[in-house]
Amino acid sequence: MMADTTAVPSDAGLVSAIASGDESAMGQLYDRYSAVVYSIALRVLGDVGMAEDLLQEVFMQLWRNPMAFDSSRGALAPWLVAVTRHRAIDWLRKRRPETPVADVALSFEPDLASKTEFARSVGKIRAMLDRMPPTQRDVLEMAYFEGLTHSEIAARTGQPLGTVKTRIRSGLLTLRTALTP
Amino acid sequence: MSVHEQFAEDLALYALGALAGPEKEALEQHLEVCSPCQSELRQLQSDATLLALSATGPVPPPRSRERLLRAIARERRAPVTVPKRSVWWLLAPYAVSAGLIVVAGFLWNQSRSLNRTLANLRERHSAMEKQLRVAQDLVNTLTSPESKQITLAPVKALPQPQGKAYYLSSSGHLILLANNLAPLPPGKVYELWLIPSTGSPIPAGLFQPDSRGTATVVNPPLPVGVEAKAFAITIEPTGGSPAPTSQPIMLGAAG
Repeated sequence: MMADTTAVPSDAGLVSAIASGDESAMGQLYDRYSAVVYSIALRVLGDVGMAEDLLQEVFMQLWRNPMAFDSSRGALAPWLVAVTRHRAIDWLRKRRPETPVADVALSFEPDLASKTEFARSVGKIRAMLDRMPPTQRDVLEMAYFEGLTHSEIAARTGQPLGTVKTRIRSGLLTLRTALTP
Repeated sequence: MSVHEQFAEDLALYALGALAGPEKEALEQHLEVCSPCQSELRQLQSDATLLALSATGPVPPPRSRERLLRAIARERRAPVTVPKRSVWWLLAPYAVSAGLIVVAGFLWNQSRSLNRTLANLRERHSAMEKQLRVAQDLVNTLTSPESKQITLAPVKALPQPQGKAYYLSSSGHLILLANNLAPLPPGKVYELWLIPSTGSPIPAGLFQPDSRGTATVVNPPLPVGVEAKAFAITIEPTGGSPAPTSQPIMLGAAG
């Protein structure tokens, strides 16, 4: 992880270059994160054209208002993930955009700038999800990728509300262990 | 884990954006004041990010990159510089103040009843400030390291009355908390005395115990800076006495 940072500009460095109008910095950031943004958009929206449109919107938003990302509060990758997911759910539910993702300050270990490290992390996360009971994985995915509320999930799956809540929490706590050595 | 258990599940839902309605509002209110829950939320948001990453794999077509770069070239713009923002922010308070002055002036001229409301609010504000100062004095007298604590015990073996005096000589503040006090015959009152290192006892407040025998004296009028040798309680005629007229029933030396 450390080896990359000397040669490759940091995310925060690229964002400040973008703030000063540097278009090539935007290109570099796109190369780094477009696949993540696009994948989440596609997973939520289920439509290639819409996913491309959302990808465009997320990066245009960063270009128009780079200060919306505050590097002192967390890393860029989780911020982009949260913004993308939020917008995608808005589109999915045909909602007007809600308040911008205010406070996404996340501790995030895997370095997305390093492709091998990233692929390894994703592999571990998927393996962890595969090992989960399907009932648990389903409620997590309904909440996150379909933007359903806990009561909507309970109604759709026929599970009691309390069970949905418990499964979501323990599912997240299980995922937490995916990247711990 | 120090997270409040009743919010633990709601926090997980909230991190996934799946909490709604009154539960969401209740949690948001709690989050404002609970830093363990705030940090647990950050951790859960991070866990949710892992969930998001499980979806990665598909790659956008090359045309998406070209489309983006064309779009930003069309929206080429002057750098967003920090100094510009900071100058703006420096001016903002003046603009807001100026705005408030204009609005205040407008209201002043508009209606006398508004003025009266304003005066009432000010009065309430100053009353609240006064209460706050009293509260601060109380806390300070109770907690200051300079504050002397004196336990007053019965002189004779009576049914265990006890008094505790907190005295801060530098500000002249005094609090007495007493309990198990015997009820008084009619026409009598308890009187607290500050016995200075030199000179005669100084009256430090009159009090009557309540039905449970407890009584408090809070900040009686006292001169500032008097070093106390002891505190004493005597029984005096209603209205109190300028100097003790009976033997103390409780006494405590200021250590």
